[in-house]
Amino acid sequence: MSGNYYSIDIAGLLVALVMVAIAAGISALMRMGIGGTLLWSACRALLQLCAMGFIMSFVIHSGNPWFVLLLIAFMLVAAVQITLSRAKGVPKGLVGPVLLSLVITMLIMMSTVVELVIRPQPWYAPQLVVPLTGMLLGNTVSTLAVGLSRFFESMRERRDEVDTLLALGATAWETARPSIVSSIRLGLMPTTASLASAGIVTVPGMMAGQIIAGGDPLDAAKYQFMVLASIAALTLLADGLIMTLVYRKCFTALDQYEPTLH
Amino acid sequence: MVIDMTCVFSASDMVCEVPDADSSRTIFSGLSFTLERGEIVDLVGPSGSGKSSLLTAFAQLNPHAHGSLALDGRSSAEFTPQQWRRQVAYLPQKPVLTGATVAEAIRLPWTLRIRGGAEPGALPWLRRACSRQSPDLRAKALLPDERIRETLDGIGCDDIELDRAPHDLSGGQAARVSLARTLLTEPKVMLADEVDAGLDDNNADKVASIMAKAVANGMAIVRIRHRPPDGRASRIVTLDGGTLTETHVERQEGLA
Repeated sequence: MSGNYYSIDIAGLLVALVMVAIAAGISALMRMGIGGTLLWSACRALLQLCAMGFIMSFVIHSGNPWFVLLLIAFMLVAAVQITLSRAKGVPKGLVGPVLLSLVITMLIMMSTVVELVIRPQPWYAPQLVVPLTGMLLGNTVSTLAVGLSRFFESMRERRDEVDTLLALGATAWETARPSIVSSIRLGLMPTTASLASAGIVTVPGMMAGQIIAGGDPLDAAKYQFMVLASIAALTLLADGLIMTLVYRKCFTALDQYEPTLH
Repeated sequence: MVIDMTCVFSASDMVCEVPDADSSRTIFSGLSFTLERGEIVDLVGPSGSGKSSLLTAFAQLNPHAHGSLALDGRSSAEFTPQQWRRQVAYLPQKPVLTGATVAEAIRLPWTLRIRGGAEPGALPWLRRACSRQSPDLRAKALLPDERIRETLDGIGCDDIELDRAPHDLSGGQAARVSLARTLLTEPKVMLADEVDAGLDDNNADKVASIMAKAVANGMAIVRIRHRPPDGRASRIVTLDGGTLTETHVERQEGLA
């Protein structure tokens, strides 16, 4: 790593926590009822991030590809769990489809972005593979959660239209299509917004981190574009995949609409 | 077995069980029903007796019902659900008119694959997605404005302009547009679920005479009705307590 790198000591972390504590104190004075949650979340985040830091440095120094795979598998399982807990009003039995679309998009990310474009040595370079997977998963998780909630909600809202379409001879796909389109649009809004505002309004987290760590800003920009573009493409793919995998859950084998229970 | 050639639609052993909290509730079971070409049958009965469930079961739209269905002597198993519903058309009580204009709302059935002329095959929706012509344009070619206008005028809907927004139609007009849309698809059997509910006598009579015209051209219609008999039905069938009982009525001359 070239350039200057400024490390943070324990006192620095305490300063950050004190800032949160002051904010929590103000909110308590104003009776906003959010101070406790804020303080608790900040402590939790500190613990989670430190744990991730320890695990990552262990995996990076071990040089063992199996540890990398294990860590990624753990992240995938956690991503499925978070997606399903965030998606509201969805039927049961979505673990398989969610896991499948996450795994497929992650494999495409690994094979193109990492192995085709960046070509690290060794091929499993943990300091590249793990953060990239994390960023991709973070985005697809929220896209899938929003997309799934919106799809089943929209099917319920369109009940009368659904009945009419089926009665007129529409297939399940033709009947579900408007809901699929609206849910994918909604799910992708943060992604397109982040593409549009990148570099003008915001310095995206990854680029900021690379610059703070002393990297060349232009290099950081290239990396950031690579990540934003592939995340945009892959979240769309993940959303499209999950929709084709789950839209049939609203229908019986005879293409009858069956309202999903929530 | 002798097949009655005038019998266009038959249903037997119709069962409907709605899942309840812990068990299931039987709405009806073992019901049989036949329908002849060119007749109107009124289906009456107290609310909650399962009239709508029976009609949606006929159209294979009811996930809680099953039974043996046949159209022109061919079992429903020989049809895809879409092919079946193309011939046995259920007309919901609430008119749903999508799109920006009345013309678009009426063309909705022609944007669907079942009427689009595309051969079934692997991933037909993908092929359609890649074709240059949009579904709306294809539908317009299959059902031009002139033909809609002609049909609407022919059934006494000359008060409805094709470029009106469906949202601005009155209840009676929306009900008639929804009816005209299903009539234009020319099903063999139409199952009208209380289409005249909430309409004034004048509009209800307009709806009834539109159906009478369709029946004269060979369609068979089942109507769920709550109004007093209007003399257009050849039979009145009552669904109550899970059984169907039939009353023959003389069709009044001059109304059909």
